[in-house]
Amino acid sequence: MERKIGLLFLAIFLTFGICLCGCTEKPADTSGAVATPETSEISASDDKPTYIVGIDGEYPPYSFINKNGEAEGFDVESVKWVADKMGFNVKIQAMAWDGIIPALQAGKIDMVYSGMTITDERKEVVDFSNPYWIVNQSVATHDDTGLTMDDFNAGKGKVGAQRGTTGAFWVEENLVNGSIISPDMLITYDNFPLVATDLQNKRIDFAIYDRPPMLDAIEGKPLSIIGEIDTGEEYGVAIRKTDPELLETINEGIALLMASPEWDELKQKYEME
Amino acid sequence: MDQVTFVLDVMIPAFQNGLLMTLALVAITAPFGLLIGIGVACGRVYGGKGVSWLMKMYAVFFRGCPLLLLLFILYFGLPSFGIVLSPFVASVLGFIFCNSAYNSEYIRGSMISVKEGQLIAAKALGMTRNQAILNIVLPQALRRSIPGVSNEFIYLIKYSSLAYMITVIELTGASKLIATKYFAYNETFFAVAIVYLALVTITTFGANALEKKYAIPG
Repeated sequence: MERKIGLLFLAIFLTFGICLCGCTEKPADTSGAVATPETSEISASDDKPTYIVGIDGEYPPYSFINKNGEAEGFDVESVKWVADKMGFNVKIQAMAWDGIIPALQAGKIDMVYSGMTITDERKEVVDFSNPYWIVNQSVATHDDTGLTMDDFNAGKGKVGAQRGTTGAFWVEENLVNGSIISPDMLITYDNFPLVATDLQNKRIDFAIYDRPPMLDAIEGKPLSIIGEIDTGEEYGVAIRKTDPELLETINEGIALLMASPEWDELKQKYEME
Repeated sequence: MDQVTFVLDVMIPAFQNGLLMTLALVAITAPFGLLIGIGVACGRVYGGKGVSWLMKMYAVFFRGCPLLLLLFILYFGLPSFGIVLSPFVASVLGFIFCNSAYNSEYIRGSMISVKEGQLIAAKALGMTRNQAILNIVLPQALRRSIPGVSNEFIYLIKYSSLAYMITVIELTGASKLIATKYFAYNETFFAVAIVYLALVTITTFGANALEKKYAIPG
């Protein structure tokens, strides 16, 4: 009997031990991470610093996890190029978008390079690199509804958006606060594919999102973009306020990238224009 | 925005609406979860071979299926079969399936604990089998399952927080919305944790009172 109890304790200790080892080995594993399918490293040489880059894993063409579980996309390739040029290693970490800024503040990741719009609210808590891209918001609807941009602006229908995105904020500021729609007509989701699914299911009448990933999300579905909102949003890389050197490095790297022929190749590869 | 205005003007109104939604989800789910749980447990313990097997499969499936997955199937999956549920109905259905499956196990356990001899004695007194189950076994079994069922009720309060994933803005959803909007993650989630703790504490006291009131004398 005593021996059995001893064995039981041993098993419990071993289990905890294994758990603890697991914890120490994965410092980048955060509570906000949806899934941690992806970590890719570039040319691991010892003297270079390694930065963890937080991305939205469902934001094509900027950043997404491909079928093989690897991070891919315009931004992912950009940051790898910058890292190569500026002499550091990167580790790509896919996370929940609505928790990505706290993860940055908490030091779980070192930058967000994933089509993040520079906004005043975000600038209060993090620093941004120089803008590297400009996008507008686009509005989509189901082909069967025949709704137009005028209907959208008049608030004739429920609007779906991803929580924590500039599209959701735009609707809130302009339609909800302008009393054009009631607050419960703005429906927010965890990620955009869910918004597109519900638009297809006709639970919502409109979806709002940045144009390039919207195009990707509605491809092959009976959904189409009915118009754009000229928000002229600028994408930048978010970096902790306490990390000015990294900010400088990234600014320099992005400037080099945009001046190089690779920039146009990337734009072509991901059909950005 | 300073902390006081944030709490008074943003957090409290958002939490009020969220709390009402959470309470509605729990209040509608709990009675059905209990009734179906009793039915499934009866079927498993006293049903024929076929019924017993069916009820077992019910428990196996809904205990085995992660709740979030179940909610996604009900909400995003069913429309491809032409069934479009509202977010609220889909969440309540998912919660009822899950809650009743767990409840059925607690109640089954306490049903088995009632000795077979009591059923035979009841029959000897002229009761039919159903009368005996209803009047002799169930009253004892239900009392004995109060700790387990109230435990499940506490789980229900907490898994109602998954409803925000299918766009029901309950307590967790409301807190996520204001957290992302104002970047006040720590304050918001800390506050919402206290609200959940309060709900669970009230439930615990209620369950203790119930247990005392319906304790089997002797």
